[in-house]
Amino acid sequence: MSEKELGKKLNKCFADTAVKIGAGLGLGIVFSVVFFKRHTWPVAFGLGSGLGMAYSNCQTDLRSHYLHHSNTIKEQ
Amino acid sequence: MAAKIVPVLKLAAKVTIAGGAVYIAYDSGLLGGSEQGSEVLGKAKSALPPAIDEWMKYFGFELPAVPKIAFAPVEAWNSGVRSTIYTLSVGPTRVGEYTTQGMQYVKDLTK
Repeated sequence: MSEKELGKKLNKCFADTAVKIGAGLGLGIVFSVVFFKRHTWPVAFGLGSGLGMAYSNCQTDLRSHYLHHSNTIKEQ
Repeated sequence: MAAKIVPVLKLAAKVTIAGGAVYIAYDSGLLGGSEQGSEVLGKAKSALPPAIDEWMKYFGFELPAVPKIAFAPVEAWNSGVRSTIYTLSVGPTRVGEYTTQGMQYVKDLTK
């Protein structure tokens, strides 16, 4: 992977992380207020889920460069 | 009769609110892949200044202008890493040299 491509992927990773953490925080707050009597743990759960989703997306994105896709193998 | 329906209605309202929040998050691409996430962030960044302006007009006061910082960490990162590692690699040698010089200076003073 060239440095430019890696830089772009990392930028996408950081942006996606920010979005997912924000969404997790928001949903955690909603669930905490609506269902769980304003306890803190749904917020922490939401933050952790968002972070985990972002990590998984980053991992897939960075690994995709090194994986062969079935359509390219068939062409060979 | 009414007393039995009220808790059910409350639960239904809560489920609607929570379900609606999850649906909105899913629909706007907040829970999708990296591409969608970065697109959403770009859209939010471009939509934020007009929204802030509208709110300020509505409330009738002005926020001070955001100072523009010329330094971009993204562009300076690589050179920062290079200079940090260079300093760390050269560090022990330099410390040895300065210690030797310092000891020589003290020796010269005591002569």
